[in-house]
Amino acid sequence: MTTETQEPQRREVARPPFYRDVRVIRVVGQILAVVAVVGIGFWLTRNLFSNMNRLGISTSFNFLFGPTNTAIPFCDNCWVIPYQFRFDPRSPVWQMVLVGVKNTFLAAFFGIILASVMGLLVGISRLSENWLVARLATVYVEFFRNIPPLVIIIFFGAAVFTAGPFPILSESWEINFPATDNNLLIINNDKWGIPGFTSTGSLVVFWAILIIGVVVAAYVWRRRTKFFEQTGQPHHRVLWFTGVVLASLVLAYFVTGQPFDMSWPVISENRRRIDGGFIVNWGFMSIAGALGLYTASHIGEIIRGSILAVPNGQSEAANAVALSASQRYRYVVLPQATRIALPPTINQYLNLVKNTSLGTAVAYAEITSLTKTSVGNGRPAFQSFIIVMAVYLVFSLTISLVLNLVNRRMQLVSR
Amino acid sequence: MKIIKLLAAMTALMLILAACTSDDDGATATDDDGAADTTEAVDLVQGGGERLAAVIAADVVVCGVNDGLPGFGVVGADGTYSGFDVDFCRVVAAGVLGDADKVEYKPLTADVRFTALQSGDIDVLIRNTTWTATRDGQEGATFLFTVFYDGQGMMVPASTGFTTLEDLADANICVLSGTTTELNLTAVFGARGIPFTGVVFEDNSLLQPAYEAGQCEAWTSDASQLAAFKSSIEGAGGEDQFIMAEIISKEPLGPVVSDGDTEWAQAVEWSVMATVQAWEFGLDSGNIGSYSGDNPNILNFIGTDNFDPGLGLPSDFAVQIVTQVGNYKEIFDAHIPAIGLSLEGSPNNIWTDGGLMYVPPYR
Amino acid sequence: MTTTAPAPPRQTRMDWARKNLFRSWWSGLITVILVPLIVYLAYLSLRFFFVTGQWDAVRVNLTLFMQGTFPRDEQWRLISQIMIFALAFGIGLGTNSAASQDRAEDAGLDYERGSIAGTLARMWSLVAFISLLLFFASTDDLGNFINPFLVVGGGLVMAAIGYQAHRFPRRIRRVGWLLTATFLVLGFQVVSGFDAGGWLPLSIIFGGAVYGAVPVDRFDSAWLRFALRLVAIAVVVLIVQAVYRAVDSPGIGWDKWSGLHLTLMVSAIAIVLAFPLGLLLALARRSTLPALRMMATVYIEVIRGVPLITLLFMGQFILGFLLPQGTVLSAITRAIAVMTLFSAAYIAEIVRGGLQALDKGQNEAGQALGMAPPPIMRRIILPQALTAVIPAMVGQFISLFKDSSLLSIIAILEFLGVRKIIHAQPDFRSVAFAETLVFVAIGYWAFAFAMSRESQRLERRLRVTR
Repeated sequence: MTTETQEPQRREVARPPFYRDVRVIRVVGQILAVVAVVGIGFWLTRNLFSNMNRLGISTSFNFLFGPTNTAIPFCDNCWVIPYQFRFDPRSPVWQMVLVGVKNTFLAAFFGIILASVMGLLVGISRLSENWLVARLATVYVEFFRNIPPLVIIIFFGAAVFTAGPFPILSESWEINFPATDNNLLIINNDKWGIPGFTSTGSLVVFWAILIIGVVVAAYVWRRRTKFFEQTGQPHHRVLWFTGVVLASLVLAYFVTGQPFDMSWPVISENRRRIDGGFIVNWGFMSIAGALGLYTASHIGEIIRGSILAVPNGQSEAANAVALSASQRYRYVVLPQATRIALPPTINQYLNLVKNTSLGTAVAYAEITSLTKTSVGNGRPAFQSFIIVMAVYLVFSLTISLVLNLVNRRMQLVSR
Repeated sequence: MKIIKLLAAMTALMLILAACTSDDDGATATDDDGAADTTEAVDLVQGGGERLAAVIAADVVVCGVNDGLPGFGVVGADGTYSGFDVDFCRVVAAGVLGDADKVEYKPLTADVRFTALQSGDIDVLIRNTTWTATRDGQEGATFLFTVFYDGQGMMVPASTGFTTLEDLADANICVLSGTTTELNLTAVFGARGIPFTGVVFEDNSLLQPAYEAGQCEAWTSDASQLAAFKSSIEGAGGEDQFIMAEIISKEPLGPVVSDGDTEWAQAVEWSVMATVQAWEFGLDSGNIGSYSGDNPNILNFIGTDNFDPGLGLPSDFAVQIVTQVGNYKEIFDAHIPAIGLSLEGSPNNIWTDGGLMYVPPYR
Repeated sequence: MTTTAPAPPRQTRMDWARKNLFRSWWSGLITVILVPLIVYLAYLSLRFFFVTGQWDAVRVNLTLFMQGTFPRDEQWRLISQIMIFALAFGIGLGTNSAASQDRAEDAGLDYERGSIAGTLARMWSLVAFISLLLFFASTDDLGNFINPFLVVGGGLVMAAIGYQAHRFPRRIRRVGWLLTATFLVLGFQVVSGFDAGGWLPLSIIFGGAVYGAVPVDRFDSAWLRFALRLVAIAVVVLIVQAVYRAVDSPGIGWDKWSGLHLTLMVSAIAIVLAFPLGLLLALARRSTLPALRMMATVYIEVIRGVPLITLLFMGQFILGFLLPQGTVLSAITRAIAVMTLFSAAYIAEIVRGGLQALDKGQNEAGQALGMAPPPIMRRIILPQALTAVIPAMVGQFISLFKDSSLLSIIAILEFLGVRKIIHAQPDFRSVAFAETLVFVAIGYWAFAFAMSRESQRLERRLRVTR
């Protein structure tokens, strides 16, 4: 087809018959494809609605406003920013969805942190000069990445908490903050408590000031970078950035009249509850821990591959200008390796977020398992899972967006 | 310019689509919807019977069961299903098809069971399913004769010394997902103002280790299940368990079929009820084949003179059921005492002995 | 002139240790900390495996783990399947190594053909897993009518027989591949049944083979060539169809499969079905037609953006409603459909990566030869791009294999799901939770590890050939 459209330039201009005309074929082909896809979609939707109507299943989203009727595990202190509510069985379903989203986010957040730290450790260990360390890292990688995450989650929950060394809640280990009666840490096989904050007033102004502070800090960062580029003097931009953020934190705290207080975890009198503080349950720790370890095996491989992918000449050049080993890593190898490693690593983060949907295996109340329970209790499945999928899509697309931004930035730097 | 072209194409597309859809509605709707209307009318008047005919044609009953419920539905090492619920699947097959082995078992989770019923994936659901108004109404399900009267109980390790629900304030309570148990728990504790934390598990293989490790103070489930796990935990050398006397809910469990086919529902229901009827008559798998008395009711029941009440079942269906599977007491004795419950004094006893097993007369 | 190389300085164990374990003070410190830790962990796991572990739950239910509720009196089907698959793998292996040998000869290089022993050594994790199974089998009466040892031995013999395919003369090398594909299909159908409707896979394989084999070069007219090929394919398809109609023996459909058998088959079926779909999606996403590109992109991004488990739930709860009233799909069929649609999106991205990585010059060279876009795609771009992405495809298969464990959440009795029902059995209701879980983990690990090793090896080889 390409040849035919080029030929008329030499011969006299004659349009081919319409069925071989590329322009026609393109338009017709696309219209046909769109019609086919839309037609199939229409047919499916029509079937869906006719079947649901036939069986008397609701096709509306009104169920979101009815009471949930079930308690959410480990949700005696269930705050969701910015809506602050205490979840109880009479709370509407949409609040349950919010709680689920929050729990999914929390598990993913801490899982990602663990996966990054572990992954870096494993990736560097695999290249270690110490034979034992390198071997151990290899065993780690081959062990974790070849077992289904679901099995690892069940395993982690069972090995660490169910069969692990921790006591039951009423016999928790309490570790005091030095020289006080306050608990720094409460540990048992059910939930762990660490110090947290409780709000004593409106936090809106506080958050607003903090956000402004972060923006200012980012501006300062850029100024310092420019300063460095122009003068060559040390920029200390991390220091500056942290300083500005901390200053705005302090400012916000006092300007808004100390809107929150330190809250220490305490075991209740009947020793069945942990009050106050920031409480995490074993389901959360199993999900974040297991997925962190699982994803770390993938990230470790990525990091190892990226370090190996930095051409040898770079290290040799660094040696030639007499950089020390740590300087060589810090200024030559790692910046280049990061550029290679970042996109696949972010992809792994995305996988981790999606894998948090397996929380049902350790009774963790993330969005998928809550929805599954709610559907089992008679809520319409289609609408419920549409919401769940939308939630994950938002997570994924956000991460994809970040990935694309990072990619673009990286590419600019490389040229 | 490009945008205009695109818009034009889109408009054309919409027009074509609109034409297609209106065609659909205009031309085929009369056929399709007409047909649908008639079948619906038939449904209402005669009760369908398609499902019964389909089952007979397929020569197999597709039965939704539980594959992990001690005493009710268990898969043995040889890959065969057994249990109280499973036996009632066999009862239906024996009654409708004359062969108790013509069952295809479909393992279902609690969450998905009604969808399986609605979509026609299974013919009958016999999976410890509690009869509730909502399920009867919203899930498009028809509940049939209750084969097992259960109630929700609460189990705690005996060493804790807990005896009432009030002792469980602030406790973690283990519960399986997608069950009425979970809703009851919330309702009862909510009504009495007892704070608690429900820990929802996927299945017993995940729940039980957590319970035994003390991650939950209590385990709530149907009393029959608790009895089963009490005996097995104690049998395996675990802690002594205590089941509270208080039963917090009514759990009538029985077969369920999809709405809209009364003939199939009748066939299933009368097959199931035949086991109780046989028990009442004193017939069991040993003696039903050789009955030689002259009680006209029993003679009708075992199909002498081809007595046919018009249920769509063969006249000897009761004989087939009882010889191949057994009467209610035989089925009960085969599975339930093994998990630690006895028939004496339970609502599952026959009405003449003070139980609730009472079936309409077969005549 | 005979000069022997100077003998390398003998490296003692001490030298080795000094170099690899105690190179610097912190390296030594780490070694000193790690050694007791490793010894302790090894002690714990060995004690669990050999002393404290109660493996009865696994041993008694070994058959249940392997084949689940598959009817025991139809077990011969599974055994035949193992035999036929072993034969197919043997033929594939033999043909592959012979093909490599051909290429090496063409390039004037030495080639040492791999051996079955070498292959087994590479797949040591699988060998270990099967040995574990045999160990359990030998210590307990499983009630099988065929001794598992015979099955494994028979499989090895079949593989060895199949491996003789490397002796095929070079000009019929393709026959080896054809036989591999044919036996894979036959092995599948020996379980699912040779009923009249099962003619399609073999028709595609034979049709494809005939398409290339018909001697049409002597005809000048493109239309005539096309017509001839069409006729040949039609004849083949009709023959296959006739044979199937004549045999028409139903088997055990996948609705009744379970256990490890289901796990393996479901992932294989889904990846095979997903491949053509993924290829189309990749081409659509790379297409210059905006509408096509947009739709493909939306599909791929949406599917990749949500977890498989939500899609599986959708499949269980909704798929039945999307089809006209009265269409009944079994739970396993719906799961396979969902896994296919899911994998297609990932395969599309893999293939797209392969297409993007290809040098632009390839396309331009094709254009310079005056080829139209479709032949360029078919003859130049796709062969290279698809070869390059084979390791990634194996990786996708591994992840699908691991993901199939999610089916246990929707009450499908695959490998992990069997564990759940074992703990409802009266004997194992309150014991051996850890043992069954460890066994399942070992099973998954053995397969995934062996496959990932193979894919790494493939990747290395591809990198070398390029």
